[in-house]
Amino acid sequence: MPDELILNKEHLTGFLRKIANERELIAPVKNQYGDTLFEIVSCVDDVSLDLESRPVVPPKNFFLPRTEILFNYRHEGKEYRFEEALPDISRVLFGLRSCDLWAILFFDVVFQENFKDRYYLNRRSNTILINIGCHKPMQNCFCKSAQSGPFLAYGYDLQFTDMGDRFFVEIGRPGGRELVEKWDYFFEPVTQKDRNEQYEIVLEAESGFERIVDFDTAVSRFINDEVDEALWEELGNRCQGCGGCAYVCPTCYCFDIADRPVSDSKGERVRTHDACTLAGFTRLAGGYNPRHERRRRIRRRFYHKLAFAKERYHRPSCVGCGRCVEICFGRIDMIHFIRTVCEQPGKAMKASLRLGEILLDAGLISKEELKAALEKQADTGKPIGAQLIEDGVITKEDVARALGIQLGIP
Amino acid sequence: MRDKAQTLVREMVSNIYLPRPVSIKRVKEETGDIKTFTLGFKDQDKKDRFTFRPGQFVLVSVFNCGEAPISICSSPTFSGGLQLSIKKMGLLTGEIHRCTKGDELGLRGPYGNGFPLEQLYGRDLLLVGGGIGLAPLRSLIEYVISERSEFGQVTVLYGARTAQDLVFKDDLSAWDTEKDVNVITTVYRDSATWKGNIGPLTSLWKKAAISPLNTKAIICGHPAIVSYVVFDLLKMGFGEDDIITTLERHMKCGVGKCGHCSIGSKFTCRHGPVFTYQEIKALPSVL
Repeated sequence: MPDELILNKEHLTGFLRKIANERELIAPVKNQYGDTLFEIVSCVDDVSLDLESRPVVPPKNFFLPRTEILFNYRHEGKEYRFEEALPDISRVLFGLRSCDLWAILFFDVVFQENFKDRYYLNRRSNTILINIGCHKPMQNCFCKSAQSGPFLAYGYDLQFTDMGDRFFVEIGRPGGRELVEKWDYFFEPVTQKDRNEQYEIVLEAESGFERIVDFDTAVSRFINDEVDEALWEELGNRCQGCGGCAYVCPTCYCFDIADRPVSDSKGERVRTHDACTLAGFTRLAGGYNPRHERRRRIRRRFYHKLAFAKERYHRPSCVGCGRCVEICFGRIDMIHFIRTVCEQPGKAMKASLRLGEILLDAGLISKEELKAALEKQADTGKPIGAQLIEDGVITKEDVARALGIQLGIP
Repeated sequence: MRDKAQTLVREMVSNIYLPRPVSIKRVKEETGDIKTFTLGFKDQDKKDRFTFRPGQFVLVSVFNCGEAPISICSSPTFSGGLQLSIKKMGLLTGEIHRCTKGDELGLRGPYGNGFPLEQLYGRDLLLVGGGIGLAPLRSLIEYVISERSEFGQVTVLYGARTAQDLVFKDDLSAWDTEKDVNVITTVYRDSATWKGNIGPLTSLWKKAAISPLNTKAIICGHPAIVSYVVFDLLKMGFGEDDIITTLERHMKCGVGKCGHCSIGSKFTCRHGPVFTYQEIKALPSVL
């Protein structure tokens, strides 16, 4: 079997029908409201496949479900036992895009690094991925800048290129070969003409991007901590804390684990999606929250996407799909954001703050109170914190927290 | 080597989120809202495999309440079971407090890096604990006592809100009788029966006669207390890598995946919870 084949479009339905008979088929389907979503397709003829637009939600839910049962537990007498609920299902995911596939490759690193997550890995290793390279960038797509598209060189089982009346099919991982060999009668050999045409489509797609950003500069600004504080203030004000960006982000994987009681003697331990922009994400028992301000949470999100993922997993975790740009109520726009960061003067912004300024910043004291305390301090020679406590302006606790910020103890 | 390979194989096939059953062997009331639980594994095989170092933590499951990260407060050299001191804070810890001898809990771990023992050998130790923060330090102190010749002079400074809030009272006096171990306790608020020091932990510097020479300082407690103590230690001349503390974060998975405890590109559950002040300073202020 050669590595490249042709699939006439009139044979696509037949091919998918065969797949759906043997495995669970997931494909982008346009629903009655006009939205395109990845859905489980049991009968190919009953749905309208949409291979033209980007599905609103990425396919991450099929690897890390919005809600999944990790264990069923029971409590009888004194006994308290857990029973694994490991997924075991064979799937084919058809029609995902390079950005989404790249995001799955990112998930792979996260979920098998150090400790292996069997829930994810079970699903992942039993899913065959059929990618459709994007011959025409959609609005707000910037995968070219993120180096996650529009076509991939590896990672897929099969990669399709839309060539009008037919698909150019590249075979990647063994799962793809398995499908093609099994139903080889749908496929035809490629000619040199097909190859040339496909090559031209790829070139045209790569040159068709209107949204171009400089990831490398932005990432280095982040890693060197050169992002202006005022930017976070502005984004913090605009963020509504709804978590929508994490919901539609193909690489957001943060999760919560909680118990869902079923009865007095049994229940389910479930894992659900979570988002770092939600207020309770970092709140500790007792109420202390290291990221209690929205500005800090949004800052965390962007740092994670661009700098921390790069440090830890050697790649930024933004794949340039543009979904968060479209969903944000506060118009927090990743593309605009990266451009703004790149345009900033490249000087170090990180400076050690003075205690008085930290307290002022946190709204714990007023400018007048600080001024009065500074004047008194000139006479008494006491540290500013002690002076403010003596004046009854603030409590020891406030000073301790500010001291923590000054020392960098989170 | 063979052991390491076996551990790796086990990790590949085992479910990292699966709690093991443990039963409560003993409950000791420390204060009005803190209890120490001694746990035993239901499965002998698993008990044999459970090894940890001081400063590590476990995730404790309570029926219908989920999981919470709790520091181990017993020494790895203690053969009487695994001990956890738990303060009543919310739903889960409230439910644990209702548990009695024979009740079962779920447990997975140990997680985290633990205290850097290899850096502590041969050094004098200054151990500063506030409130329930003494729990992880207790694991280390008991370990140091059982391996006494490996360590130098040990100074334990412990503070709580009132005399009624002091934990491990028997241990505190027992440690004090050990050779080259000095324990000083303080409370913030006066009470009729209290004969010891009154004031914050930082009021103990004079009494403890501390010197940064050949000393490693380890501080566990509320971030506010840690800040005050670190501030003073730096002034005394302690090196930034000789000051060690623990960070507390909301955690769900314990294995560096769920994202809740991340600080910069580090995970508190995996790269911590023990950090030197030098490491903490290098963490981004962005949290």
